[in-house]
Amino acid sequence: MDADRIRAHLDPIRHEFADPRSLVMPALKFAQTEKGHLTREDMAAVAEATGYSPSFIESVASFYDRLYTRPVGNRVVSVCVTLSCMLRGADEVWDALCEHEGVDHHHGGTSADGRITIQEAQCLGYCDKGACIQVDAEETKGPYTPEEAVKLVEELREAPTPAELWR
Amino acid sequence: MAEYAPVDLTVENQVEFELDGRRVAAPAGTMLADACYAHGVEIPIFCYEPRIGPPIGACRMCLVEVEGMRGLQTACSTPVAPDMVVRTTTDAVKEAQDGVLEVLLANHPLDCPVCDKGGECPLQDRTFKFGPGTSRYVEPKRHQPKPLNLSHRIALDRERCISCFRCVRFSQEVAQDGELTMQERGARSEITTFSGDPYRGRFSGNIIDVCPVGALTSIPYRFVSRPWDVQNTPSVCGLCPVGCNTELTVREGRTKRVTGRPEPNPAVEEGWLCDTGRWAYDASWSQARITAAVVREATGDRTATLEDAVDGAAALLRGRTAGILVGTAATVEEAGIAADLAGGALPGAVVARMGIPGGALAPLRALPGAQLGDVDDADLVVVAGGDPSAQQPVAELRLRKARRFGATVTGCGPRPHALEALGTFIRTAPGDLAAGVASLAEAIAAATRPVVMWDEADLAGEPAAAEALAAAIAANPAARQLELGAEVNGSGLRALGLPDAGAVLDAVRAGTVDALLLVHADPLDAPGRAAWDAALEGFAGPVIAIASHADATTERADLVLPALTMWEQEGTLVSMNGRVQRLRPGARGPEGAAAGWELLVALAHRLGVVPGYRTAAAAFRAVTAGRPAFAGITPEAAGVLGVPLAAPAQVAGASAPPPASGEGVPLVATRTVYGGAAARRSAALADTAAPAELRMAPDTAAAHWVNDGDRVVLRSSSGESGRLTVRVGDGLPEGVVFAPLGAPGSPTEGVLPADMAPVLVRVARVEAG
Amino acid sequence: MPILNSVYRHREAGRPLTELAAYREAGGYKALESVLGETDADDLQYAFVRSGLRGRGGAGFPMGRKASFLPKDSRLPKYVVCNADESEPGTFKDREIMEMNPFQLLEGLTLAGYAIGAVRGYIYIRGEYEHQARVLDAAVRAAREAGFLGKDLLRSGFDYDITVYRGAGAYICGEETALLESLEGKRGQPRLKPPFPAVAGLYGSPTLINNVETLTALPPIVTRGADWYAALGPEKSPGTKLFSISGHVVRPGNYEIVLGDTTLRELIFEHAGGLREGRRVKAVWVGGSSVPVIGEEHLDTPLDYESLQGIGTALGSGGCIVMDDSGCIVRACLRLASFYRHESCGKCSPCREGTSWFERILQRMVDGDGRMEDFELLESLFRRVSGKTLCPLADGAIAPIRSAIKLFRDDFIRVCQEGSPRPEPMLPASVG
Repeated sequence: MDADRIRAHLDPIRHEFADPRSLVMPALKFAQTEKGHLTREDMAAVAEATGYSPSFIESVASFYDRLYTRPVGNRVVSVCVTLSCMLRGADEVWDALCEHEGVDHHHGGTSADGRITIQEAQCLGYCDKGACIQVDAEETKGPYTPEEAVKLVEELREAPTPAELWR
Repeated sequence: MAEYAPVDLTVENQVEFELDGRRVAAPAGTMLADACYAHGVEIPIFCYEPRIGPPIGACRMCLVEVEGMRGLQTACSTPVAPDMVVRTTTDAVKEAQDGVLEVLLANHPLDCPVCDKGGECPLQDRTFKFGPGTSRYVEPKRHQPKPLNLSHRIALDRERCISCFRCVRFSQEVAQDGELTMQERGARSEITTFSGDPYRGRFSGNIIDVCPVGALTSIPYRFVSRPWDVQNTPSVCGLCPVGCNTELTVREGRTKRVTGRPEPNPAVEEGWLCDTGRWAYDASWSQARITAAVVREATGDRTATLEDAVDGAAALLRGRTAGILVGTAATVEEAGIAADLAGGALPGAVVARMGIPGGALAPLRALPGAQLGDVDDADLVVVAGGDPSAQQPVAELRLRKARRFGATVTGCGPRPHALEALGTFIRTAPGDLAAGVASLAEAIAAATRPVVMWDEADLAGEPAAAEALAAAIAANPAARQLELGAEVNGSGLRALGLPDAGAVLDAVRAGTVDALLLVHADPLDAPGRAAWDAALEGFAGPVIAIASHADATTERADLVLPALTMWEQEGTLVSMNGRVQRLRPGARGPEGAAAGWELLVALAHRLGVVPGYRTAAAAFRAVTAGRPAFAGITPEAAGVLGVPLAAPAQVAGASAPPPASGEGVPLVATRTVYGGAAARRSAALADTAAPAELRMAPDTAAAHWVNDGDRVVLRSSSGESGRLTVRVGDGLPEGVVFAPLGAPGSPTEGVLPADMAPVLVRVARVEAG
Repeated sequence: MPILNSVYRHREAGRPLTELAAYREAGGYKALESVLGETDADDLQYAFVRSGLRGRGGAGFPMGRKASFLPKDSRLPKYVVCNADESEPGTFKDREIMEMNPFQLLEGLTLAGYAIGAVRGYIYIRGEYEHQARVLDAAVRAAREAGFLGKDLLRSGFDYDITVYRGAGAYICGEETALLESLEGKRGQPRLKPPFPAVAGLYGSPTLINNVETLTALPPIVTRGADWYAALGPEKSPGTKLFSISGHVVRPGNYEIVLGDTTLRELIFEHAGGLREGRRVKAVWVGGSSVPVIGEEHLDTPLDYESLQGIGTALGSGGCIVMDDSGCIVRACLRLASFYRHESCGKCSPCREGTSWFERILQRMVDGDGRMEDFELLESLFRRVSGKTLCPLADGAIAPIRSAIKLFRDDFIRVCQEGSPRPEPMLPASVG
């Protein structure tokens, strides 16, 4: 994404912060909506638009789970694996999804067709709906059985990819 | 040890507290870690590095017990308080130290035997002193691919990193180059540049010095020696006039490494070096190094022994009237002995110094001076002219520090530079620095403790500006001036009373001298080159050069006496703000070479006049005797940290240059220390060499019918330049062109006069881009 | 399920209060209207002190006292920051408040801003709560249009606005100084204290930081009076508290109780519908995952700060995770250890290295490769790390494991020798 588009996105909220550094995170989130992850060029554009060094921008981006400095699939499926969800079958959901998408059971990963990334999430705050799953940054849903989870990714694979990838 | 902040235990009104049962005191605000160290108690630290900035409390190594405070406290961030009771050796403290070292070592490789840091490694030392002794870690260690190159000069071994954040804080806060950051999080954290690009910075090497483990090492020093196989010698850098204090690591007669001093000089470099000062030492064995005397005869060149060559030089000079030209990097001893020759061995000789005449600078130099360390206390720092980052690199770090501590930074000058972002800078038209100075006068008058940095070359070229600036500083009794000098030992040569090179040049032209002796002087590679070139063309007498490296002038000399470099010889340099500091010999230098001062003493002997000194120290005493600037200064007094001159180093008999005349576009030239001459001789710095480029704004390029990439030459009333490549850039002012001094082939030097007076140049395209 | 006061107003109303009109109908913004231009800021602060309200984020620091720490004479602007980075495992109460009753949070945040003379309030919400952030965005817009935010609120001369700021996935940002770092656009790594945020917080300015639930309690405290609130529950730490209950219970969800009048047993068996047929309580992390675990023997403990502290655990965030006797305690500990290892920010060495080490030892145990000396090793590591880190994350990692080893030593010894096969989870179908 180019720096001008990022600047235009930031302009309306600039006045809300005493220090423009606070714009870095909104800028990164917005820059990520284009490809679903942040390329070197995206981070350089964020650096240009906010006035901080590209290295600093990358250091911020790489700190947060939901900013991706490496490519991910068209849709990112986050499976909560923390204690409450584990007690409600999260591991079974995880295994089923990894199996179905043909990705590593330890680390998750992106399906061969590039459509779906399966990743572990730490507590998503939907413990009452465990085992829960969040697709991109959409509202987390649950509870899922392994079968329902597989159905979910199959539907995602067929569905059109959103124009803006908020993650 | 550099890692703790120096504590002045002599000031009044100290805070008394109890340390391990002893009643001690330290100034209010002193952090416990520093106060304890000052009282002989070492609190182990890793992340703390007071030179970098405020404590961050990350490594947790410095935990101590403070009575009345819950849990252990980090000594790096707890200031002393009245009647505080501190315990540093209790079981709880020991347990914490064991714990931190145990976890730090859990994933740290046990490769000390092959690690460059081994033997001088804080982690190793503190593990022996404070550690648990055994490891209970049985899990597989974290593995990373072996070292990667952070740049051509720095290797990063990520497995060894203990995430102390010193290097990234140096990059972000001290150098502010924005290059190095911590990425990822938790146990996966690692230091890196943007996308793993090479670390581009003028001060990158300091991260090696601050690294408390072997994670960051110098590539030219990799696997070169072990700490117990080397001698470390405190010395001074002789590559620019800042005079940074250095430590030379010497093995088998060679300089293997240059680092910041473990006991830094707070008045000068504070332990930080620029990359040029750190890595240029390999120039002492570069291709251009003169390792044996050269005698140039009709039948060709032949090498000679030093004995024969000095005899030969004496024979060439005997009975002649010599012009003696002293280069700007020559030591006080070399220049002083050269001047002494005129009084005895070479009667009637005309002795002069290279460098800027500076006739207009007397009123500025007469004002109260500041050392770089004084910049820390300033509330206003003014930079008049110049480009400190390029010309006096470490001064940049002081400016950044002052800004960080809340000082206002402002300035004026004709060229865009890296420090302009620190404050409000006024861009002046070439030749009109006075206008910029006028607009700063009010701020200088209003400040409480202003320090005004001024560029020797820029102000020397504009007498009106120099006068106005002197008046503005004089108007505020609290204001101090700090000269951003152009030449390594310019102050030292002036303090000896040497006139400017014009004296020798005029004598050569007039034929009143019939021999030339050059002492570390290369007038064909400096501003004023054209005039020297012409004068030497018609000069029939013998030319004798004392030099360490081959250059344009040694090529034309009849006899070359090989001299030692600043890494190899004893001597004294006076920094730009008049600090007298000593070079100490580290490496031996080539077999066939000798120190310049020794060569000059030998020459005097051969010419039948035996000088009254046989050591460098005695020479220093003899040649500075009667010079008011050196009053009371002895080599002993200069000690390890140097002393300021007793009086300003004023110039003798120079006149101010006239304003630019003729036609063409104004040229603004900038000396480059980083990427300048040193980079041409040092293999380690080869990639930093500043390109021979002529930079200008788009409309200016259009007005001169040149495009980006064209090769051009410049012509002025002083001469013609070598070839430069046009670079058209936005953000440059229109109606002016910019070129570097010290670029490969020294193209720019040819178009400038020796007095660095402003010039107008015509741009002629010789090759389309 | 008893609705005890209007902290949880949307359940009383029987619908989400995401429309301003609905919130107004349910009595919303009465508190702000009654205060602006009527009550002195210091008096309002004093009312917060008198109410006895303690921070509901986990640490339980008295809210009014925290507000009183802000310097009165500072020339710097002041800020209120709402900590909506709800990420403590087992905790989802703030989520429901924000998605169902966003205006009450805005009103509370505005009251807090008025009490300390702040110029702006920020809601730092975890990145995963994008849905809730959008609900809040809409609520902020509606409140601004209605004059409850912006310039000269309700013509009182008080200017105040609210910014919803999204995090991007990092548990550590729930620690208040890490949150500030993140809100300032940096890596969310905790700061060295002092200075405390009350003195030098956001952008170096005096800053009050409170949890969503804490701020949401302010409007009823104002409308019904500090004395009314102080009279609810135990004298020392009164009021109501939301408990999020999850894990092996039939009706997981948020339940609001008056502190001290409900036991853990009642929460599990009456509110949350109990366990599956034939199961017994094995372990409960009553205040989120960072508190010491307790067993069945403590089920009759009343849920309040002091009583829970009395049995060696803590009320924490009120995120109550229940595991029945089908679960494996060592696996549970490993899962939590992985969580803390993943979330350790990496700034301070004991936490960065320690959390990784804990996880590796527990992994070995689950794999059946545990050694008897691992117990001593773990206990020694806990001693060496605990209390020596920059922030409480490592202590949060240690508490549940250390307590579990004490309480369930036999299980640990058995797993060390035999390993732990994955137990059957409680699937949706298995709930009646």
